[in-house]
Amino acid sequence: MIAEIGHFALIIALVTSILQASVPLIATYHAGLNDYMRLAVPLQLLSAAGIIISFACLLVTFITSDFSVALVAQHSHSLKPMLYKISGSWGNHEGSLLLWCVILALYGTVFACSSRALSRTTHSRILAIHAMVSIAFLSFSLFTSNPFERLSPAPIDGQGLNPVLQDVGLALHPPTLYLGYVGLSLAFAFAVAGLLDGRIDKIWAQALKPYITAAWCALTAGIALGSWWAYYELGWGGWWFWDPVENASLMPWLAATALLHSTNVVAAKEGFRSWTVLLAILGFSLSLIGTFIVRSGLLTSVHSFASDPARGVFILGILMLAIGLPLCLYVWRGPQLAAKNTTSFMVSRETGLLINNALLLVSTAIILLGTFYPLGLEVMTGARITVGPPYFAATFSPVMGIAVFFMGIGPVLAWHRGRLSHASLLFIICGLSVGVAAIICFSLGIKPAALAGISLAIWLLASIVSDIILRLKPWRIAGLGARTLSLPAPQWGMWCAHFGMVIFLAGALGEGLYQREAIQRVQPGSVISLGPYSITFKQILSLKGANYQTQTAELALFDDEGNFLSMMMPEKRFYPAEKQVTTEAAIRSSLLGDVYAVLGDGDDDKGYTIRLYHKPLVSWIWGGAAIMVLGGAIAAFGRRRKTPLPYHEDTV
Amino acid sequence: MRRRLLFILPLAIFCVVVIISAIALQETIMGTRDTRQLPSILIGKTAPALALPVLTTNQRDKRTGPVLVNFFASWCAPCRAEAPALSALSEQIPIIGIAFKDKAGDTTQFLDQFGNPFSTVFMDETGQTARQWGAYGVPETFLLDADRTVLLRHAGPIDKQTFDTVIIPALNTLN
Repeated sequence: MIAEIGHFALIIALVTSILQASVPLIATYHAGLNDYMRLAVPLQLLSAAGIIISFACLLVTFITSDFSVALVAQHSHSLKPMLYKISGSWGNHEGSLLLWCVILALYGTVFACSSRALSRTTHSRILAIHAMVSIAFLSFSLFTSNPFERLSPAPIDGQGLNPVLQDVGLALHPPTLYLGYVGLSLAFAFAVAGLLDGRIDKIWAQALKPYITAAWCALTAGIALGSWWAYYELGWGGWWFWDPVENASLMPWLAATALLHSTNVVAAKEGFRSWTVLLAILGFSLSLIGTFIVRSGLLTSVHSFASDPARGVFILGILMLAIGLPLCLYVWRGPQLAAKNTTSFMVSRETGLLINNALLLVSTAIILLGTFYPLGLEVMTGARITVGPPYFAATFSPVMGIAVFFMGIGPVLAWHRGRLSHASLLFIICGLSVGVAAIICFSLGIKPAALAGISLAIWLLASIVSDIILRLKPWRIAGLGARTLSLPAPQWGMWCAHFGMVIFLAGALGEGLYQREAIQRVQPGSVISLGPYSITFKQILSLKGANYQTQTAELALFDDEGNFLSMMMPEKRFYPAEKQVTTEAAIRSSLLGDVYAVLGDGDDDKGYTIRLYHKPLVSWIWGGAAIMVLGGAIAAFGRRRKTPLPYHEDTV
Repeated sequence: MRRRLLFILPLAIFCVVVIISAIALQETIMGTRDTRQLPSILIGKTAPALALPVLTTNQRDKRTGPVLVNFFASWCAPCRAEAPALSALSEQIPIIGIAFKDKAGDTTQFLDQFGNPFSTVFMDETGQTARQWGAYGVPETFLLDADRTVLLRHAGPIDKQTFDTVIIPALNTLN
């Protein structure tokens, strides 16, 4: 019964979305029908209610382990811990699609109830376009991947969830990532509505900013969570593999980062209008393309679960309508937006942001090329190739390096007409710090790649710190508090997010350039040396977990002076219900670096294979991402200047 | 007009992506694509040179005829499993062994324990050469003809079935 209610609620949501996409949009074009625009908000609330009821029903079927529902039977098991029963509802294709719709509904509802500064026409158009996106995903769910399909006869127990996916990090990863992807769909609706209006102004950008920032934070957090999960759960000893599925999440992130910055130019100066519209369309397009890659099984990926080529056809259809039409609209209306561009001087914040945008777009193109080139080559010549980390290291990294260099310059320039001389003190400080750091590094005999990376990180750090100091003037005690408080929250948010980038860079450099690896077959008593550490293999234990059995290696970790540091217990787990083996890496984490141990194959006669890594500063990668998210949150929700924001005359 | 072209660019790139995806998707659905195993890009090409330190070598290696190249490691369990198959093969064709991410002492111990089917053993301590060859991991075996052209690649251990249906027929066609 519950499943039928959920199914029915989903159908209602689709019907109301169709009304929401058509009636208010038509009403905005006919003066006589203008009153019908008022329907947009209630229709949005109604369809959101339908979607949320439907998702609640799905949760109930998973919590009560109703195995007469096919999805529950395939992906759950009565013995599973409750947390994973709940997360199991979105750990599969059908459920995750419904979760996607729920988040669409949440964003739509928040927007419908706020953003009062926009004119009613624009507000209604945005809601109508957003409803079109909902229609696409609701019909995808209903017509190709209905989560409420019944199974007759119902099995006695379920087939369990992939044990690799029984993990807190992964339970949180999809919802967070979707919060990011779907937030971009709202930006997309803003862009299309803006093109239809032919009016992109400060008010439009001010209304858009909080959603972009929220989506960017969620996307950053989602990607970081996914990478963290791969690091400690998959046991491959890495945090980023340039896999197509990972690239699919990085491309929207780059576009969203560019969008975040260019929206500020529209909000401040009404410049970059056609850029911003394009980026908003691109951000959403890339997240759709990401979904397409993951769900269709088109590209060979290590993350390919829940893929089906037949569903790919449907997503490709959505893609052609949802991206093709707005891009056509952009060809038609875009040039008119660009024509009114206000001119700025060469040296200005705008130029800095333009360079930032261009570099982010170039790096997106690099990843798009690396991801689709093998497919294109195969289609045209039949040759099969893979594009791996060497390509990305050689192309993506230098472009991002240049972007980091400009991150140190752009923010200190003034809007419209900056003066390099005003910032010259700052550049001297930065240049000096980089010089000192470079000399120290050089005398230590550090690799050139590390030297370049460290110099960039120091450059950015020095720029942020001296910018803060020069603005606050802490040597003048009087009024220091007032000066601190008068700086707007977005300014602090920007510093915080950029500082997160410094931390991230340090982590990526430490891990990438100074990682050590040792693989060895060991008998009890064997000693493995790994950089400054030595590890003694004691014995293998057989233990019993909640719903699995383990083989656990006992390793003793010593530092270079022979002091005992800790025991490390890497595991291999066997899940009898799923007949699946997973590896659990043992990680000794500290601020300075991780020691990472994985137990491989073996038995008592031949010995056991142990893989060990020393990864300096690796936890800074996720720490940096967390600081970036914090920066975004400060910018989005922090206290603003008291000046009232402008609003359109004909508001909601 | 030139300005307008700039605005068409995103649409054009999008169309290319869609066309490629559509064709590939159609092939996937028709079943003409196999997304699981990638063939080696080296097939039909000259194998990369082996500029590596030599651990052991014997006089039988004159490097004239066809040769098998086997990537292995002392820490790899499947490599032990394929030791009998390799020693049977070494009667018919010289085998070059490349020890992947291994230490010389461990490799020597491994060869003492499981027999040495290799005419020459090279040490690839960094794994750089394995990357050049596009190897997935260990064990992995390549068949080269007299001109050092790669004829065949097999990823994973050579079990009974692979031995009978893949390696032996390939050797027979060579002779």
